[in-house]
Amino acid sequence: MDSDLIGSTRMVAGALAAAALLGLAACSAGSSTSPPEGTPPPSGEGSDEALVLGLVAEPASLDFTTEDGAAIPQALLVNLYEGLVKLDQDGEIVPALSTEWDVSDDGRTYTFELVDNAEFTSGEPMTATDVVFSIERVQTDWTTSLAAAMDVVESVEADSPTRVVVTLSAPSNDWLYRMTTRIGAIFSEAGVDDLASTPIGTGPYQLDAWNRGDSIVLTRNDDYWGDAPHFAEVTLRYFDDPTALNSALLSGGIDVITTVQAPEALPQFDGNDDLQIIEGTTNGEVVLSFNHRSAPFQDIRVRQAIRLAIDHQSLIDTCWAGRGELIGSMVPPTDPWYEDLTALVPHDPNLAAQLLGEAEQTDLTLRLRVPTLPYAESCGQVVASQLEDVGITVALDTLEFPAQWLQQVFTDHDYDMSIVAHVEPRDVPAVFGNPEYYPGYDNAEVQDLLAEADAGTPDEQVTIMQEVARVLSEDAASDWLFLLPNLIVADADITGLPENGIGEAFDLTLLARG
Amino acid sequence: MLLRVLVRSGVFLASLIVSSVLVFWFLAGLPGDPARVALGVNATEEAVAALREEFGLNRPLVTQYVDWVGGMLAGDPGRSYVSKAQIGPQLADRLQVTLWLVGTATVIAVLIALPAGTLMAVRHGRLSGLLLAAMSQVGVAVPAFLAGILLVALFAVRLGWLPSGGWTPPVEDPLMFLQQLALPALALGLVQGAVLSRYVRSAVIDVLREDYLRTARAKGLTPFRALRRHGLRNAMVPVVTVLGLQLSTLLVGAVVVERVFVIPGVGNLLLSAVADRDLLLVQAVVMVLVVAVLVVTFVVDLLYAVIDPRLRRG
Amino acid sequence: MAGAALVGLVVVVALVSFFWTPYAPMRVDSPSRLLGFSAEHWLGTDKFGRDATSMIMVGARTTLFVGLIAVSVAALIGVPLGVLAAMGPSWLGQLVMRASDLVLAFPALLLAIMFGAVYGASTLTAMIAIGIATIPSFARVARAGALQVMRTEYVLAARVSGRSRFAIAGRHVLPNISSLVIVQASVSFAIAVLAEAALSFLGLGTPPRTPSWGRMLQESQELLFVAPRLAVVPGVAIAIAVLGFNLLGDGLRDRYDPKLEQAR
Repeated sequence: MDSDLIGSTRMVAGALAAAALLGLAACSAGSSTSPPEGTPPPSGEGSDEALVLGLVAEPASLDFTTEDGAAIPQALLVNLYEGLVKLDQDGEIVPALSTEWDVSDDGRTYTFELVDNAEFTSGEPMTATDVVFSIERVQTDWTTSLAAAMDVVESVEADSPTRVVVTLSAPSNDWLYRMTTRIGAIFSEAGVDDLASTPIGTGPYQLDAWNRGDSIVLTRNDDYWGDAPHFAEVTLRYFDDPTALNSALLSGGIDVITTVQAPEALPQFDGNDDLQIIEGTTNGEVVLSFNHRSAPFQDIRVRQAIRLAIDHQSLIDTCWAGRGELIGSMVPPTDPWYEDLTALVPHDPNLAAQLLGEAEQTDLTLRLRVPTLPYAESCGQVVASQLEDVGITVALDTLEFPAQWLQQVFTDHDYDMSIVAHVEPRDVPAVFGNPEYYPGYDNAEVQDLLAEADAGTPDEQVTIMQEVARVLSEDAASDWLFLLPNLIVADADITGLPENGIGEAFDLTLLARG
Repeated sequence: MLLRVLVRSGVFLASLIVSSVLVFWFLAGLPGDPARVALGVNATEEAVAALREEFGLNRPLVTQYVDWVGGMLAGDPGRSYVSKAQIGPQLADRLQVTLWLVGTATVIAVLIALPAGTLMAVRHGRLSGLLLAAMSQVGVAVPAFLAGILLVALFAVRLGWLPSGGWTPPVEDPLMFLQQLALPALALGLVQGAVLSRYVRSAVIDVLREDYLRTARAKGLTPFRALRRHGLRNAMVPVVTVLGLQLSTLLVGAVVVERVFVIPGVGNLLLSAVADRDLLLVQAVVMVLVVAVLVVTFVVDLLYAVIDPRLRRG
Repeated sequence: MAGAALVGLVVVVALVSFFWTPYAPMRVDSPSRLLGFSAEHWLGTDKFGRDATSMIMVGARTTLFVGLIAVSVAALIGVPLGVLAAMGPSWLGQLVMRASDLVLAFPALLLAIMFGAVYGASTLTAMIAIGIATIPSFARVARAGALQVMRTEYVLAARVSGRSRFAIAGRHVLPNISSLVIVQASVSFAIAVLAEAALSFLGLGTPPRTPSWGRMLQESQELLFVAPRLAVVPGVAIAIAVLGFNLLGDGLRDRYDPKLEQAR
């Protein structure tokens, strides 16, 4: 009879609920995931504290033996999986699972002494047989092309439970370095059944939970053979949206932004005494690639003209908030053979127009196809604009990353220019030494030099690689827009954050609070 | 009545079948070899070929379709090409999250719309009614994600009262869960509330014009009292229908809001799945969403018959 | 009517943009980045130094264009379907209505995502997706209207005198439901504007070098704390357009409704 359901009653109920909600909110205003109280215990034992990191590009699986991408090793290498060696903050190769190693005079035989008390999180001890298994597995089971770096290994043998002898088919400077990357990770013979979701390693952390679409939770491995890391639990939270990443730090949802993807918004962190901003370098060269299979790019004058037309400093200022370094070639400042080659190609639009005239390409139209990544979309617009100033018509379009970009640019080579950051360390050989790679750069001189550098002494390697970098620049193999900066924003009391991004891993063991 | 239900059920089933065929055939035409994308930039040709074999991507489309439907009916949408994990549990988790979001937003929307709409109708033509109407117009014109961005800017960053996003399951930390739910649900709910309130308003206005209400008012009752006594039941009819129709819009809004607030719901899952070319996952998510809407429409149809006695007779 | 005024504003701005904008809208002008409201740049500039006023003006074009195509597609397909459903055999009517219910289960965004994934996201895929998703509304309205008209005396007389279905449709039904269709068009236009904004926000709509209000919103997110005006300007533009079409639709409905009553 009386349809009094709605109206007053519900309104009151609604108001009460709203008030309760606001009350709850106000009560916990400003509370972040602050760690519980507790004095830091003596070193070697770690604390009870938890840490939350914000990252981008969530991995689709935890198995980097079959999947590419920087995200998996970033999370798991050094933290969960360990190799025989690793990189320290200065980029030097230092011991990890191997306490020391010896190289024969001919550079072909490496003898590694292993630690004797390392254990996998499955309970199995780590011995030389696991090392042999892991190295051989790279050659037989890994499906990523990065595994090719292990091809130089001719044989590997366990001399004793704590000694491994690796024989290379030819001396290689590069090999030991590569052993600090993902291919050097040591797996348990019994622990490779479900690498996609159940990683088993010897490292200071183990996998506690993987909430797809949200986070990876690592907890300290209490049976770790080395020094215990400070944080008992580290949560890696993944964000699709750069702004959400920034907001999360401000509202306390995360403690560290490991890589700022919206640098324009950095000013909001300035002057905030509770936060620290770290700005260093990475291995991420933002490459404006030329498709060498495409006719216009076979003329060096066209390539040089494009490089001259770009005002790199203005580009960084406009599309990446002025953060990042200018590089003249494919080498970041953290590599031993770095030289500042930026002076080789100044900003000279007049010369660029002139070169284009000489090459009879005054009416050039080029397709710039960029992936849907923040820096690429942003900088693509500036590049297009600057090229148009010298008379090149640019058709800019975006390709969804990874799917579309991989198919059309990477596999089908259906593009003229593209922009993508190459973040693997020491990737000159992979990008410019391999004519099958997507730019299709085929320079015999460079290939020969690369082989020489690898086979020579370490000093020779440095000199020759410097020459390679120079040749690439003079030959305008591509343009290097800038080097992605290592931009970290974190709570002010967190220590151990890396100044520069050097290897593939984000080393959690160095982090502490207070 | 029974015949009606039977017919409706038949139509419902037919719709399910047709939409599953549509979804499958359309997505099977996706460019970008799913196997290659699943394996990443540096994958070798052999690996790609092996993956295609493993997931049966070389079989004729009809076979793949039949297998897929069979699996879905058994509650097993299969394994993702990219993560190799079972899709089922993942989808269930995500669905739960989105249901919380959409459910709370609907509650907020109704809590806003009913009083606001009624007030607008009753004060139709007067200043307060006009003001409310104007506000509701603005509410309708603002996209949910814009509302979300502004709410974050104000409540999360400026005031620091609420987190800017993220998600905690209610059993783990009820307080955090509520805090994280507040802004996104509000963003969705406010906009939906504005839309809904306008339907309520027109429904109530219509009811107010009805004869029996005029009689009641002639007897001396205020419009409000008259409504309460007689009219609200009928006013509910279009509201229920609209709620059902609005489900699609709510889901759309949820997709964008989930992106802004980084909530691991089906919306975000869909966007990631498309970017990863995780074909099977996209199919599963799209199918679930479509089924959800079809089910709700079906239920609303039946409810309609119950609520409106005039229809039941007809 | 307020609605007509707002819509008129948007249309005028879009038309003017064909002939004149203060600056070339997509011109990157690095020294002028992130300027506020001023005499040189009325609505300021974005992080690339692009003039916001010019972008809004040309963006109006995109918005109207997308809305126009989407609504036209929906009307051109939906109205005949609806009329057919009303005038044809009842099984056909049922089929059409069921099919349109089915389409309703695929929200515009979902369709746009699917289309974008297959064909590559672009303005075109957005328009077609939104258009397809809007067909049911027109079909419904057309059918309801046609059913009503069919019951009028004129039509009954025409049927008795043996006029063909087509003739009846042409002479009586269509003209009489046109007002309903126009009202629906206005409402659907508003929805299309919102949908396009959402799609551009997600990166599934207009490509980067085409100005669009939704994309402006997306690009503003990064700078929300440094320059909130970058979000407010396109946000207000979207709100004005949607508000305008909604009010227009309401106003038209109020005007035409009594007419329909009389036709009975």
